[in-house]
Amino acid sequence: MPLWFARGLRRGVVTTRYPARPDGSAVSLPTPPAFRPGQLTRQTADRMIAACPGPALRRRDDTLIFDVGACTACGRCARVAPDAVTPSGEFELATTDRAALVKTIPILGGSDEA
Amino acid sequence: MTAVEPRAAAGTREHLVRQLVGLGGTPTLDTSPASNAVTVSVPAGALEAATHAAAGISGVRLADMFADDGDTTVLRLVWACEADEPGYVITESQIAGGEYSPLSDIAPAAFVEECEIYEQFGIRPAGGKPLNRVMLPPHSGAEPPAGRPPGPALPTLGHQPAQPPAEVHAPHLVGGQAFEFPFGPVRQVGVESLYYGLVTSGEEVVDLYLFTWHKHRGVEWRLRGKTAPEAIFLAERAEGLSAVAVGWAFAAAAEAAARVTAPAAAARTRAVALELERLYNHAAATAALCQATGLSVGQAAAEIALERLLRVNAAAFGHRYLFGVVEPGGVSRAPDGDVLRRELPGAYDELRRAADALLSTNSFVDRLAACGILTAEQARRLGLVGPVARATGLTTDARLAAAGPYADHPVNVVTGAAGDVFARFQVMLGEVAESVRLITRFLDDGTAADRTLIPSRAGTGLGWAESPRGEALAWVALDEDGRIARARLRPGSARNWRGFDDACRSQNVFTDIPIIEASFWLTVAGMAR
Repeated sequence: MPLWFARGLRRGVVTTRYPARPDGSAVSLPTPPAFRPGQLTRQTADRMIAACPGPALRRRDDTLIFDVGACTACGRCARVAPDAVTPSGEFELATTDRAALVKTIPILGGSDEA
Repeated sequence: MTAVEPRAAAGTREHLVRQLVGLGGTPTLDTSPASNAVTVSVPAGALEAATHAAAGISGVRLADMFADDGDTTVLRLVWACEADEPGYVITESQIAGGEYSPLSDIAPAAFVEECEIYEQFGIRPAGGKPLNRVMLPPHSGAEPPAGRPPGPALPTLGHQPAQPPAEVHAPHLVGGQAFEFPFGPVRQVGVESLYYGLVTSGEEVVDLYLFTWHKHRGVEWRLRGKTAPEAIFLAERAEGLSAVAVGWAFAAAAEAAARVTAPAAAARTRAVALELERLYNHAAATAALCQATGLSVGQAAAEIALERLLRVNAAAFGHRYLFGVVEPGGVSRAPDGDVLRRELPGAYDELRRAADALLSTNSFVDRLAACGILTAEQARRLGLVGPVARATGLTTDARLAAAGPYADHPVNVVTGAAGDVFARFQVMLGEVAESVRLITRFLDDGTAADRTLIPSRAGTGLGWAESPRGEALAWVALDEDGRIARARLRPGSARNWRGFDDACRSQNVFTDIPIIEASFWLTVAGMAR
């Protein structure tokens, strides 16, 4: 057991203050989506809502409501609407107010059926 | 009726198929020529004799059993043939009248599936033996407490059973000085929901049963009606720590059903991801063994290696747990080979250094040796897979039955002999080295983000992959539109939990149970899928 004590001291502290430095692999990791309001139509929004495996997306008239706290960054919305969605690259989601995680995005593209 | 002991005979597919044909079976034509699986239609009246024949062949293992609803319920048994040219034989039998021969009396490995099939399809083995609750929670569809809104009733895949399944603990008799110690389903930190019914006289584990149904998700039910590309998202989440293995098994089943094969470079990409999955899981199991034995510095050392391996995954494939790599027909991403060649050796050395230190620590090794023993005979009778089976001396490994990259670079199967926790740990360490070797070979041969289109056509297919916790199986039936009529997912955990209580009962005490659980390294999600 003294050997493990010495081993622990020798290896030292490997945890770091967060974030110690940008992580190079972070750019390719899945992150929650960012939406392009001008590319959003009601039909596009409904397709994304149907593709979302959780309750992260819903629509109220011409507004897309996005709950970042319910998003698992699976990327399915981006697959069905690649023009309207980009990866946000955002990891820093912590907040003291749950409501701050719910975002409203205006649907500026109108309706495909118009 | 007693369990059948295998006689000395070649456990080849051809040998088994000949036996089944001799009993009135008919090989079906709906088998992909690229697949190592053969389907034989067996009359229900010959099912008992067919099971006797298969269970009696050395090197043949009951790998899975499941049902499907149509005009009548179809019962399918998947037999793994592990001698000479490994492969699988599926028997399918039409069950009329709600009962079939009690197959677990012949092949004990069938009992859990007999219970599951009763819950999901309402058919049961003849003879009235008690069937335990294994999948659906008892509150599914029940009246909610006063003032609470009704929750959704969990759907079954076929008919509801005539009577609810037995609750294991209800008829459980505890006599003498023994008493029952309930533990779970809520456990410490982020461990999955699992209920232990521990019967003890104070310290020794006299008996143990498990409830794994608390988080049942109905994944197989949810797959119905989806196309294979839509369904892979759910399939790889059936057991997230085996996302690549279960995803590959499912994709291979869909490809076999559609009569296509993934391009060779895509298959090598899958194999790279599969071996990376094995690496991080075995590192995590090492850390869990240290935690269970109270060796916190060793745990930290193993977790440093684990974190490095997860970062290698992220840098190579864009996801720490390798989700989204496998797609039906191929893969969505190619690995960054430069990153793997540069980063993987360092991460492996980190794990190796921690393991070498652990192996020279008597207080660690002594806790693992002679703990949670399973014999090869127990592993064979229960159809166990993965490191748990290999630690007993069995050479069970689904990679041996795989075409493509594993045929080009055959895996050196690592086995143990003692069947205890220490043997399982040593098997995992041996497999870590083998995974690093295989990844290098697959990268040298070339990987690519390539795929074959899955055509819309009807068919059935079986797929498999060797997950870190053992053989993962999937069976898929597609309709004419290419949509899933029935999908069966059987992760390795669904097989190996049935050996856990036997391992715990083998003269162990309370504090051995976390060590045994870490050495099995199973997921509850794999059962509660």
